[in-house]
Amino acid sequence: MRAVIWVLIMTMLLAAACRSPAPRSNEVVAVAAGTVPADPSDPIWRNAPEYAAKLLPQDLVDPRLMKASTAEVLVRAVIAGSEIAFRLEWTDPSKSDLPGAGQFIDACAIQIPARIEPDLPDPQMGMPGKPVEIAYWRADWQASVNGREDSIKSLFPNAAIDHYPYDAPPLQPGSPEQQEFAKRYAPADAVGNRREGARPNPVEDLLAEGPGTLSPATRTTSRASGVYGQPGWSVVIVRSLPEGLAPLTRTQVAFAIWEGSLDEVGARKMRSAWIPLAIREAE
Amino acid sequence: MARVYNWQIGREMSYWYPESRPQKQFAAVFDINKCIACQTCTVACKTTWTSGRGQEYMLWNNVESKPYGCYPLAWDLKLLDMLNGQEWTGNRYDGQTIFESAPAGERALGWRPETQDYAYPNVGEDDCSGQVNGGASFSMPHMNWFFYLARICNHCTYPSCLSSCPRSSIYKRPEDGIVLVDQGRCRGYQECVRACPYKKVFFNPMTGTSEKCIACFPKIEQGIQPQCFVNCIGKIRMAGWISKPENARADNPIDYLVHIKKVALPLFPQFGLEPNVYYIPPIHVPTSFTRQLFGPGVDEAIRTYRNAPNDRDLAGLLCLLGSSEMMMPRWKRQGDTVMGLDEKGVELVRVPMNEPVHIRPAFDRLYQVQRTNCP
Ligand code: SF4
Ligand code: SF4
Repeated sequence: MRAVIWVLIMTMLLAAACRSPAPRSNEVVAVAAGTVPADPSDPIWRNAPEYAAKLLPQDLVDPRLMKASTAEVLVRAVIAGSEIAFRLEWTDPSKSDLPGAGQFIDACAIQIPARIEPDLPDPQMGMPGKPVEIAYWRADWQASVNGREDSIKSLFPNAAIDHYPYDAPPLQPGSPEQQEFAKRYAPADAVGNRREGARPNPVEDLLAEGPGTLSPATRTTSRASGVYGQPGWSVVIVRSLPEGLAPLTRTQVAFAIWEGSLDEVGARKMRSAWIPLAIREAE
Repeated sequence: MARVYNWQIGREMSYWYPESRPQKQFAAVFDINKCIACQTCTVACKTTWTSGRGQEYMLWNNVESKPYGCYPLAWDLKLLDMLNGQEWTGNRYDGQTIFESAPAGERALGWRPETQDYAYPNVGEDDCSGQVNGGASFSMPHMNWFFYLARICNHCTYPSCLSSCPRSSIYKRPEDGIVLVDQGRCRGYQECVRACPYKKVFFNPMTGTSEKCIACFPKIEQGIQPQCFVNCIGKIRMAGWISKPENARADNPIDYLVHIKKVALPLFPQFGLEPNVYYIPPIHVPTSFTRQLFGPGVDEAIRTYRNAPNDRDLAGLLCLLGSSEMMMPRWKRQGDTVMGLDEKGVELVRVPMNEPVHIRPAFDRLYQVQRTNCP
């Protein structure tokens, strides 16, 4: 009996050793799977090779990041059906997920050319006529998805508020009239620019044709899930498979990381160059 | 960077965009000598525009006691410290503006306040510049002093909030020069908060966008002065339109005070933004202090203001401040009466320069009682 148990243990250990750590690769290779993993700790990730994307400060357009911070982001990718999932992991000693004056948020983004063509758009947010698609994840949105209350008290626990005009009687809390009235006091929300507040999804799909041109995609179809621990963030972003990407074609992908505690925001970010993205069918 | 002309510093300077002046430029004159820091303006703005979530800390209009008061904390001192020598030769500024001294990678020299910096809306309120010893206040300028500085967005001709936004989310309206943040386009990078030297853009953590004074444009569009102007108890303010100096009109009240009489001066012209709120400097404060705030014209402005009793036009025009809620793009004086007019010269308000004075004897003979002033 003891011998059988030993054989079982040795077999399991051997199997684990064969699977992990996955070999490092010199391009991002998305491996095919039955479903895309929604969670950073899903064992499927072990099947995908890891790519260490070197990051450079964005120092080409003002405002620039003048000092390098996050050195690299570890990337794995999995495809299933019409979706591709990326797992981004990077070292971040401090979690920054509270918005405020002079406070910035940890974030990451994946950029892919909107079309597969021989001439690549600029890796810096694309260029006119050559758009890029961006999926952008943010730590405060993740906190909201994880259940952080949409209240000033989440940011300032000791805040004392008498009342907001739209909370006063006779308006019934939560009623359509009350919510409509509240929008008057949140102009960005009123015009549909929801940068903060309760949300079901911590990621936003965007398009760009060069620096300063970022705009929301018609709708966000990507989804994401980020977990903070030591040594930093582990974020899964699932987006639709880039159009035309098939086992024998390649496209390119680029990554960006913002370290909130170092005031990184917008153009002040660490970013990668274009990296080839290939698909490997299940063996 | 483009080369643009900034008349407030008497020279060309570098700016991110080429010169593009609006058809009309919103401007204001504040007479500091009349401000009593009642904060009615602050409350008028607050209750109108910023009583929502995330706006709790915001004061688009604030009044601070100088020399020590500031909101946010040390907004002026921090930048003055960064901006090295600020020498003038006559009316020409020899130092560098915040655009000219932008560090590598930045569009303007600036700094970003933190949440704590907004926690003291007027630290140093009513604190005097020094110890008041017997008799000290009886000379002019006072040996020890303080004064109230009411501040809104300056709707600058060369706004650094606007030029610092990498997304071009801030725009200056061509019809009136009002500077606004496009709430649909802003992504909350806070570059404008860093770049505005007056710290008049505020980040709203509940909407995730930056917000600022809108010069009450819905009122301006109807020819009515903004909330903080019409609610001012001290009647220190007048809103109007300013011309370029070479096009100044004597019948435009703002032009008259700023360009012709040169009695109202911009705040920190050396920053280079051509701000459009003009201050009549406090006359009781040593000009060694106010020169840094309002530029080299301070001594002359104070002389002109103190001479107002002998200058019927200036005295008359000063009576128009706070006399009507309507914008008064034109004005005229007839004898002891001064009138605010619309663009076509139609009278909007008429103000006597001398209010009739009735002296009631302290003793009321009819009722055989002593009168008092108590309500
Ligand atoms: S005062 Fe500041 S916020 Fe207002 S226009 Fe000038 S730079 Fe922009
Ligand atoms: S002009 Fe209007 S928005 Fe601006 S500070 Fe005054 S009341 Fe507030």
